Amino acid sequence: MRWGTFLGTTVIVALIILYEWPKMKQNPKKDKMAFFSLLLMGLVLSMFNIQQMSGPTAWIVTFFKPFGEFMEK
Amino acid sequence: MEKGKISSLQMAIMLYPTIVATAILGAPSITAKYALNDLWLSPILAALIGYATVYIAYKLHKLYPKQTVIQFSEQIIGRIPGKILGFLYLFFYIPITGEILRGYGDFIADSFMVNTPIIVIMASMVILCALIVRGGIEVLGRAAELFLPVFIFPICILIILLSADLDFKNIFPILGDGIMPPLKGAIIPGGWFSEFFLIIFLLPFLADMKKGMKYGMVTVFAVMMTLVVVNLIVLFVLGSTTSSKVYPLMNVSRYVSFGEFFEHLESAVMAIWVVGAFVKISVFYYAAALSTAQWLNLSDYRPVVWPIGILIVEFSFWSFPSSMEVSRYDIIAFPFHGILMQTIIPLLLLVIAFVRKRNKGTNTR
Repeated sequence: MRWGTFLGTTVIVALIILYEWPKMKQNPKKDKMAFFSLLLMGLVLSMFNIQQMSGPTAWIVTFFKPFGEFMEK
Repeated sequence: MEKGKISSLQMAIMLYPTIVATAILGAPSITAKYALNDLWLSPILAALIGYATVYIAYKLHKLYPKQTVIQFSEQIIGRIPGKILGFLYLFFYIPITGEILRGYGDFIADSFMVNTPIIVIMASMVILCALIVRGGIEVLGRAAELFLPVFIFPICILIILLSADLDFKNIFPILGDGIMPPLKGAIIPGGWFSEFFLIIFLLPFLADMKKGMKYGMVTVFAVMMTLVVVNLIVLFVLGSTTSSKVYPLMNVSRYVSFGEFFEHLESAVMAIWVVGAFVKISVFYYAAALSTAQWLNLSDYRPVVWPIGILIVEFSFWSFPSSMEVSRYDIIAFPFHGILMQTIIPLLLLVIAFVRKRNKGTNTR
């Protein structure tokens, strides 16, 4: 866990909420749910050391391995 | 969801930098690795994927006007499979935007702003793109129109000033090892040409829909010609060493020395790249935000723009410990993933949609 990244992301998330909330007050509840859950996803991801973590891009590389080996030949 | 309208010319102007910006910088050396001195043939072969993609996207759009791929895939293959496919599209466009952003940050940090932390370069770009995506498609179209001269002018100047350094003998032997090397080299630009599927997110908002196909095809041709010319210039100047450079156009621009006045033109390349990357990231960001909102059935895509910006920055670092890994991903995964998601799956969707439409026709008779 890297506190600097996490704190930085928290500040950015707070700024986004401050900026966006007044504009989306009358939007349906679903919009607000999506807004906050996406922000939460971003916040959770910032807690990990994502550069070394295997993620979607690494899975895609594994998925296309036969083609990748063809290209690396 | 989106009330703005753009013209089909604006669509073409948005797409041209979107494809060319990254393709002229990194692609020549990767292509040269496989195609050797036939690298100028590869974009011509790869453009076939571009023509096919535009044709498929336009036909799908005609069957389901006013809808993007996220919406009509639910109608074509059913609700649950459609949602799954929509999720796959989300997990194509959001990470790919992150990867483009990382490519931009790496280039600026490695070549020009060596002491600036990469996150500053990338975050400032994302903030700029988020503002323009939030403004809507009209703002995006007008910004692309405004920046197009800034994008094309330096390329032309560079080509004219380089004319003294060109060594035309580098082109021989043409097809020395048969057609296979340029064919294999065409896979890489093929991934770029498949990005023309982005028109599916723009076609529903065209004011003059009938011209969409024509302008799409014209854009594919313009991109193909630009790539052929850039690949030829790189080949004429660098010869067989092209494949060993990371950014061949940068190296080429350092050769320019005209009247002891025009020197250090790599700043021109940087201008092309910054403007092009800005348009490119904005268009991809727009596609990502719009598809997220449509996938979740939201009333507007604007509330999710900023949260997706955070995700894009995180995806640009996720599983990419170094810039080496990013360029490796560009070779071994992106072309296949791009062609699968943006050409092959739409083709399957089109076939299913056609069959279903025809069956419906025979049932009612």
